[in-house]
Amino acid sequence: MKILESAAVIITGIVFGLFLLGVQRKLVARVQRRYGPPIWQQFIDVAKLFSKSSISHGFVFDMGVMMALGGTIATLLFVPIGKLQVLSMSGDFIVVVYLMAVASLGMAMSAVNSGNPNASIGVMRALTQMFGYELPYLMVMMGMMFAYRTSSILGMAQVQQGGILNWNLFRVPIGAIVVFISMFGISGKKPFDTPIAPAEIASGPMVEYSGKFLGSLTLMHALVIFVDISIFVNVFLGGASNYWFFLLKVLAVFSLMVLISSVIPRFRVEQVVTFSWKWPLFFAVIQSVILVAMGVR
Amino acid sequence: MNLKELISELKNKYRVLDEKFNDPNHTFVSIVPDQLHAALGELKSYGWKHLSTISCVDWIDDNEFELVYHLWNWDSRSQISLKTRISRSNPHFPTIMHIFPTAKYYERDIHEFFGVEFDGNSEMEPLFLEFWDDIPPMRKDFDPLKYSREKFGERDYKVPFADFIVEEGDQK
Amino acid sequence: MDRKMSPETRSALEKLADWFRARSIWMLHYCTGCGAVELPPSMTSRFDMERFGIGPMATPRQADVLLITGYLATKTLRRVIYTYEQMQTPKYVIGFGSCTINGGIYYDSYNVITRLDLYLPVDIYIAGCMPRPEAILTAFNKLREMIEKGEANGWKRYEENKEWYRANQLKALNGEVYVTR
Repeated sequence: MKILESAAVIITGIVFGLFLLGVQRKLVARVQRRYGPPIWQQFIDVAKLFSKSSISHGFVFDMGVMMALGGTIATLLFVPIGKLQVLSMSGDFIVVVYLMAVASLGMAMSAVNSGNPNASIGVMRALTQMFGYELPYLMVMMGMMFAYRTSSILGMAQVQQGGILNWNLFRVPIGAIVVFISMFGISGKKPFDTPIAPAEIASGPMVEYSGKFLGSLTLMHALVIFVDISIFVNVFLGGASNYWFFLLKVLAVFSLMVLISSVIPRFRVEQVVTFSWKWPLFFAVIQSVILVAMGVR
Repeated sequence: MNLKELISELKNKYRVLDEKFNDPNHTFVSIVPDQLHAALGELKSYGWKHLSTISCVDWIDDNEFELVYHLWNWDSRSQISLKTRISRSNPHFPTIMHIFPTAKYYERDIHEFFGVEFDGNSEMEPLFLEFWDDIPPMRKDFDPLKYSREKFGERDYKVPFADFIVEEGDQK
Repeated sequence: MDRKMSPETRSALEKLADWFRARSIWMLHYCTGCGAVELPPSMTSRFDMERFGIGPMATPRQADVLLITGYLATKTLRRVIYTYEQMQTPKYVIGFGSCTINGGIYYDSYNVITRLDLYLPVDIYIAGCMPRPEAILTAFNKLREMIEKGEANGWKRYEENKEWYRANQLKALNGEVYVTR
């Protein structure tokens, strides 16, 4: 039973994640008054990438990609999708944050091992940027864990039951905004796409990946986006009792993110940290103080 | 200093073969090769501090290369181009790097494309061309079309409208 | 050389792969010449290449098509060969503009190659100086058809006739293809 459930979750993550990327390309195209590629373009791209030949740069290069993809899939198993959740325990939010770090680490290891200077610059930027957005994100989340006395994602979703006004989006509004901004960083969207930056450093960490490696990383990117938004939906938008309703919420949040990110330019890498440690961190501190001092009601 | 005054002063001091005004702010002055360095140094001290470029002209019928040093004055906004002719059969000329250090690359460029040796310039290896295997390509006796045909080949193709092209002169 | 390979030699899996490859063409544009100026209008809202799944890529490892826009001096030809050999198969080459076809206005230059197909296996040429975005899109759609039929096998020709291509490259590059400068 568990195996079937995990298969369902992984397939949901991959298919819906790629679908989200397709939606992103279409939405960006429409914002730029273009027709845009078909919505299933991302599936074709990934299939094509797996059909191409690919070049490896050593054992660590291969292992890092597997580590990144595996770490993300492991993260996915902890995330409740509607009522579907494979692994559940108290404290699974903390596990998810750590597993996401494993994914980034695998990618960093692999990219640096390729020996390309652009990859090293990209990895350095990605890790610098992580300092920026992780701090306000974790601060809000810790405050909420303290206020609700639970650190499981499902528990956090369950305390919001009973109407829209019980959603954390309205109970913890400042925190919701801070986490929403940090999500741009986690999923690598503008203005936080400094690590990728195709025009400056030739797509950064991805510069030496070809064929199936690039395909695996595309899958990983799709899964990261899906996991990231799923956590937001569970924690702030009350989760969902229905599988399809959950996916609809994810789609809505993602579309909002894409529409915002398609009209703003990119930060420089030091601007990312300056910005994240100025405004989101400031509001995160305020929100945490409110949560700790007064609780959620 | 005015450009006209300068020219008369140059004429007093050096053997000026020819001088011609291109426009009120630009003049060409021809000078004998062994006095060129002194003249350049003096012009630099008068304010013609900027060496824009060095150009080279291949006078194949006279069997001479002409080196042209373009100097620019930022204060009076005027340009002097000092010309000098050297022999084409054994092209050697002393460098002007001690007066204008930027001349290093211009001289390297001229050496590559015309084959003029600049004595005293330490870097004379090719700047732009890789593994060049013929006479310097900007010389008049180098035939680029022949070289291109031999080396890069030619595409065989038929121009379908060739019969309809009317040459100048046979319009009736 | 035989340009056409009979499509029947492909297995069903290869046919499926070609179907995917035809619908997702990532291009690396090598913009040495003036042709690059025609690419922004082809990509942006008026002509919109992306609706055919064609998009720009930043590095040769990720790209499928090498788009050579304009003239190639011998010095840049050397770098184009490096770039092409870094790309992963299947890979395609598009020669863009008259300069790659017969030298264009550089037909008698001492340093500019006149025929790209002597050095790299060109799948499609776009004639014109410069080709309009319509011509570029037509060429890409033609390439798409060729890939789907299994006719765009320039990379196979390059591997099979490696000696012939290498000899031409050595002739144009004066006896040395790989330099470390």
